Amino acid sequence: MWKYVLKRIILALITTFIILSLTFILMKLLPFPLGVGNENEQASYYNHQVYLGFVFDSKVPLNGKESLWSYVDSDRISHYYYQVPVMQQYFSWLRNIFLHWDWGVSNKIMPNVNAINIILSRLPNSMYLNIISVIISVPLGIILGIIAALKKNSLTDNIISTLVMVFISIPSFVLITFLILFFGYKTHWLPPQWPSDTAPISQKIAAFVIPVMALSFGSICGYCRFTRAELCEVMSSEYLLLARTKGLTKKQAILRHALRNAMVPIVPSILAEFISILGGSMILENLYGIPGIGDLFVKALNAPDYNVLFVDMALFTTISLLAGVLLDISYGFIDPRIRMGAKK
Amino acid sequence: MALLILELEWGQRNNMKVYNQENYHIDKSKFSFAHENKKITDSKFDTKPTTFAKDAFKRFCKNKSSVVAAFIIGFLLLGSFLIPLIDTNDIKSVHPDQSLLIPKIFNAGTGFWDGTKKYNNIAYSAEDEAPLGFKKDAIISMEVSGIEYINQPYKYALGGYLKIATEDMLQNKDETFDGKIKFLRNYKTFNYDPIYNYQLNVNLGDIDNITDDSSLGEYRIRMQTNSQFIEIQDWSKNFGEISINLNDIVKEKVTSAQIRFEVKPQINKYSYLLIKNINISCDNEEINELLSTISFDDANAAALIQKQDNGTFPNMYWQSNANRDIYQAEKRSVSFVYDQYEDVFGKRNMALGSLRLNEYIEKGWVEYDYNIGPESFKVLDENSPVIQIYSQTYDSTYDIYTLNADIIYYKYIGMKKMPKYIFGTDISGKDIFKLAFSSLKTSLLIAILSSAVCLFVGLVWGSISGYFGGNVDLVMERFCEILSGVPWIVVMTLTILILGNNIGTFALALCLTGWIGVASRTRTQFYRFKGREYVLASRTLGSSDTRLIFKHILPNALGTIVTSSVLMIPSVIFSEATLAYLNLGLQGVDSFGVLLSDNQQYLATYPALIVFPAIIISLLMISFNLFGNGLRDALNPSLKGSD
Repeated sequence: MWKYVLKRIILALITTFIILSLTFILMKLLPFPLGVGNENEQASYYNHQVYLGFVFDSKVPLNGKESLWSYVDSDRISHYYYQVPVMQQYFSWLRNIFLHWDWGVSNKIMPNVNAINIILSRLPNSMYLNIISVIISVPLGIILGIIAALKKNSLTDNIISTLVMVFISIPSFVLITFLILFFGYKTHWLPPQWPSDTAPISQKIAAFVIPVMALSFGSICGYCRFTRAELCEVMSSEYLLLARTKGLTKKQAILRHALRNAMVPIVPSILAEFISILGGSMILENLYGIPGIGDLFVKALNAPDYNVLFVDMALFTTISLLAGVLLDISYGFIDPRIRMGAKK
Repeated sequence: MALLILELEWGQRNNMKVYNQENYHIDKSKFSFAHENKKITDSKFDTKPTTFAKDAFKRFCKNKSSVVAAFIIGFLLLGSFLIPLIDTNDIKSVHPDQSLLIPKIFNAGTGFWDGTKKYNNIAYSAEDEAPLGFKKDAIISMEVSGIEYINQPYKYALGGYLKIATEDMLQNKDETFDGKIKFLRNYKTFNYDPIYNYQLNVNLGDIDNITDDSSLGEYRIRMQTNSQFIEIQDWSKNFGEISINLNDIVKEKVTSAQIRFEVKPQINKYSYLLIKNINISCDNEEINELLSTISFDDANAAALIQKQDNGTFPNMYWQSNANRDIYQAEKRSVSFVYDQYEDVFGKRNMALGSLRLNEYIEKGWVEYDYNIGPESFKVLDENSPVIQIYSQTYDSTYDIYTLNADIIYYKYIGMKKMPKYIFGTDISGKDIFKLAFSSLKTSLLIAILSSAVCLFVGLVWGSISGYFGGNVDLVMERFCEILSGVPWIVVMTLTILILGNNIGTFALALCLTGWIGVASRTRTQFYRFKGREYVLASRTLGSSDTRLIFKHILPNALGTIVTSSVLMIPSVIFSEATLAYLNLGLQGVDSFGVLLSDNQQYLATYPALIVFPAIIISLLMISFNLFGNGLRDALNPSLKGSD
């Protein structure tokens, strides 16, 4: 078992490394993000790029190449900045990360601020939002699923199943649009936009309701459907019939046998969901104006601010891979019969 | 055996002795073969044989919701192809004049989906008889929502009293006040002839003590001529409706007469006089016409009349040696239902070139003679956009007439009838209904194209990876993992930046990572089925890998895979919309995501712009999910032949 776990983790780390490397190289193929601001800011931006090894500083203009930026410093020395070859940049990047943990600075969103710091300052908002939505959606989804499965083909089940079908189908950005429209603009019960930092605390709490609803409706429905399907399958199995024949009450049979077995595939997905707490929902955050990392992604993409975008992507990638590994491993722990990736 | 039992029964029935088996003997001749000369062959089935597809279809039809969903998908698909063809509304060019119209299906005034919008508390302009900035013709119903009284002349106010106040107060009773009298008189004089009957009606306000230091003062009415004053009513404190027959008082003929109201100061208080309206009339029509321009009904309107640009005063002007103040004019605000379509496409006043008018004359719609002018205008055909011409001006340098005319705008821009946009229009005046279905076509096209590619690639990849497992699977799975781990936004961005932003690129970009989902589902299904006994049995009998994959495993996995491929279509539409929200949307073609994300900013002001496309996309997603589920149940081989 431990060998299996170790193998999965190492593989995931290698995958992460390859993905990040590929992403880095692909992004370096995009046009170079130019510095903004006055001469001093630009100079410090380009000097930082030189320090990172992505750009080199030439004292004379090079033939046949257009410089990224040039200026004359206070000592009357001309500086011409040129991009170094992509693969060379890649090795500089590796060196920077492994030796200095330096991921570069932002050039548009918050010029000359370390990208990691920008992400860290925005992470809490996304995390709170996701934690609340997971805390709400997991129990609610599972309970609804159990109810639907136990009252299979009754009116209750039909209503739950229909609602699940509707809410699982509606895209989250459409859902949040309707929620903002109804609660924000029609009834004025909740703020239609994320309030500013100076807003009263009650406003700030109220502002969580719409995005949490938009986030959790989908996952409530997901869990509900999953639980119902699993529980229905278990309920029709022979061992449950045996349990009832042995004399267990329906309640005992369901709690001790049916639910436990039905939870086998559900628990791993809950664990994976907890990992994704760190991630943000890009469009949702952008539409509601939540200053989280999802919103940052959209802003960085449109700025464009590639360093911030890259760190954000790296975070999303790592989170999703970790979640995947946790899912696979927890399958193995909960049901030792399953070994994802075993031979034929 | 059957014969034996028969014999036994026969014996019992005849009260025969039942023998033990040992001594029970039956004569051999009593036995005969049952089917000695019969041929037993297979008989034909009465029922028709069923195929897999027929059976699946039968089971699919049993699932009512899936059938409904299939019909909805069908309608949407059909709509997306037919509506852009049938609907003649132009969605290619920009029409700024018809931007942001409200959805309309029913006629205006029905109160539901009728292209009207309710406005609340808009300032009412008495001058236009309509709320400020709105057209009178387009108002369906209006009610006064609030009245505010103001005490100064205001362009959009109504009624009130003209207030003439003294600027001095008297110290004692005996003090002379002649120089401190304030008056109000008509500017335009009239001739008084006692052979006609003259009537002066005036309504004086009876509101005392407006402020602490002022109250209603004594007033008198006089007729002023060039040389003298004729007393019409002496100092009095009679307020309210006052009606005076001038013939009773003035007996002689007077030229250039003026009616003059005077108010005198009082002790320790300022005096004022409130005049609601003044009406002077005469039974001679010619004089009466002049007098009617002198009279005023609306004090606020009268107070607003000022010196003209050329330095003269208009006839209606009433002059005074005091400030012509207004007391309690009504500033109304109204709530009303406004027909936007009438506003945009209905009657409007505009300058019309003679070239345009000549066109209408040629078509025989109108009759007009430039030499005679507006009087010669006549509408001959109801198609004519022009309904009235007020004036014409001639530009000799270009030999062109410009006409000031009332036109019906929708006829003017060449429409047969007043348009109805059932989903309204967007900021650039494009019909959302047509735009939505045209966008749906693009989105569905991309979705179907990339789903097909993804399905093919994913199926092959997943089958190989799932069937062979082990190291093959490990490598293939790592490849998938890496590819799916690269944020698809990066892949999309790069693809779009390098290859340009068109449908083909978009479909390709969506395919680059889209097949991974199908592959992993196929792989999971293969893992599930490849260890089953029937596969083992087939393998033992020497089946090749191809046979095992295509004959034994894939059909079992087909239900799940088909379902997932059906569900890929909405997910591709979703991805496309996501990209549009990230400002990476399709350029130059209408697509659903671009439609949604462009209109997102009007959520607060014009929710219809986003609500209808959002409903369509939700309906599509729900239908595809239901359809997919029905398909999965129908294609599940373990349910084959059941029911």
